[in-house]
Amino acid sequence: MNAEHLIRFLKGVGRKLALFVTIYLIASMALFMAIRAIPGDPIALRLKNPDPVRVAKERERLGLDKPVMTQYVLYGKSFWTGDWGRSLLSGRKVREDVAQFFPATLELSLAGLSLGIIIGVLTAVFAEGFRSQWLKRFSFFLGTLGLTVPIFWIGLLALIVGSLWLGWFPSGGRFDLSMVPPPNVTGSLLIDSLLAGQWEKFWAAVNHLVLPAICLSLYPAAQVCSVLQARLQDPKIEILKRALKARGFGPARIWFRHLLKVGSAPVVTVIGTSFGALLGGAVLTETVFSWPGIGRYMVAAVLDRDLYVVQNVLLLVILLVVGVVFITDFLAHVINPVATKSEEDQ
Amino acid sequence: MLERLMKRSLFELVTFAWIALALLGLIWTPYDPQAQSFRELSLMGFSKLHWLGVDGLGRDMLSRVWRGSGNTVLLGLAASMGTLCFSAVLLFLEQKGPILLKKLIRGLVSVGISLPVLFLGLILLVFLERSPSTLVLAAALGGVPFGFRQLRIVWVEQKGALYVMASKALGSDGRHMVFFTIWPNIKGQVVSLGKILFAVGILELSGLTFLGLMGDPDFAELGTILRQNQAYLFLQPSLVVWPGILLSGLLLMVHLSNIKTKS
Repeated sequence: MNAEHLIRFLKGVGRKLALFVTIYLIASMALFMAIRAIPGDPIALRLKNPDPVRVAKERERLGLDKPVMTQYVLYGKSFWTGDWGRSLLSGRKVREDVAQFFPATLELSLAGLSLGIIIGVLTAVFAEGFRSQWLKRFSFFLGTLGLTVPIFWIGLLALIVGSLWLGWFPSGGRFDLSMVPPPNVTGSLLIDSLLAGQWEKFWAAVNHLVLPAICLSLYPAAQVCSVLQARLQDPKIEILKRALKARGFGPARIWFRHLLKVGSAPVVTVIGTSFGALLGGAVLTETVFSWPGIGRYMVAAVLDRDLYVVQNVLLLVILLVVGVVFITDFLAHVINPVATKSEEDQ
Repeated sequence: MLERLMKRSLFELVTFAWIALALLGLIWTPYDPQAQSFRELSLMGFSKLHWLGVDGLGRDMLSRVWRGSGNTVLLGLAASMGTLCFSAVLLFLEQKGPILLKKLIRGLVSVGISLPVLFLGLILLVFLERSPSTLVLAAALGGVPFGFRQLRIVWVEQKGALYVMASKALGSDGRHMVFFTIWPNIKGQVVSLGKILFAVGILELSGLTFLGLMGDPDFAELGTILRQNQAYLFLQPSLVVWPGILLSGLLLMVHLSNIKTKS
């Protein structure tokens, strides 16, 4: 990386950081104001016997008697220190709930994303590599399916076929109710059962994960396939392919070692921008498959107007999505600085 | 007239017919889609009187999905119109505002495009009541980053187009320029954008309603119907299949007709 690239890169980092802070301020203020615009007193709702003295005490304890600006600063401080309060309905600590539900969503999202990338990359590479009309039709079908068919309906159909008709997969949940889950180390049942060397539990976890992961993989697969295919159809890539062929390289080395590297910069960006959609899709998938993840927890909190859960978990998820977008932007820049520079110039 | 109609693609004609038929469901259905008039026949499959069967609460499924399609189309249209209006206002601010505002809008749009509408809907539902209008607002605002980008592309293209400068040099007034010079050239792009926004609006709205954020669980809308019938998935799968076919079919037709428009 030369000096010009480094300066450009650092400027980009500065811009992204400034934007991240702006988004944090906008999102946190919106949530803070939204919570305060709710009609009724959430503290009175929380207390079983809401006499004025107890309500006043509770308000003082939570800092709700202080000026609005101080409350906002306190909210920011508690968010960044991980002190997210207790759920108004269950009384459990929000941080503990997040630690319980988030790994489930992460496991599902990563499984869906990985499967989507594999399907998308293989379809695009084989369709372009073999110039097969059938594979091109399949990639068009995949793109259309991923972009037009609602994920929750695909989930319901998958349940009908995989669970009701074939009986291969369970009808929902994350693990067999008849089994004791593996010791909790990472929160991921797949990894925890592997760490414990409990193969039976590992396969039970895989069995529960297959249908939701397939449903979730369709959107990233469609995105990756269409972007990579468009990239691989670039005339410059065709010239590079001929040059590599002339040097005597085999098709596997040409496609998977050279062309995929050149074509992967926009794919990485697409993966980043799809991450938000993936989390949104995870919320719907969790609902269809009764998956105990953060999405269902968040929706339930909004419907019940659970103040601390809403203002901390929603903000956390929004910042996570923005963070992933920025990180993948940088990764795309590191993989192929020239391609990202020309895209920025456009 | 017939010649002009024939020039349109088959997908466009099917899409128009589909939407018109769906909207007809708002004024007429074979039975009342809300009334639980056939409780003794609940979860019954196909019959001569009830072509798509009867749901778990004794309501005619054909009437429900027909009215549901109409409501889905109507909400999708409202959301896409809202997105276009919000995007146009944002574009105006970006073009006329100070540099800092321009940069802020562009930065927020670049990030906003990756934020799912669902989260926006959840934020709005914290302080607004659960109703179709709240969900339409969420879907309309959620589509703004994409709508803004597309409108901006059209705007930048037209601003520097030679024929616009030539028309200006010939002394065309604003109205003539907009309706007789610019509009014929951007009509295809705007129609294509409208179709995409319509499809995205329907997709996002159905997702929000499937999560039960509509408020009224009996409101006939395809996402809500799918949510309600999920309880009978293993008893009468067709109750879940039909609303999904109508929803996906509509989205597929809009998508395919858009590919034709673009080409």
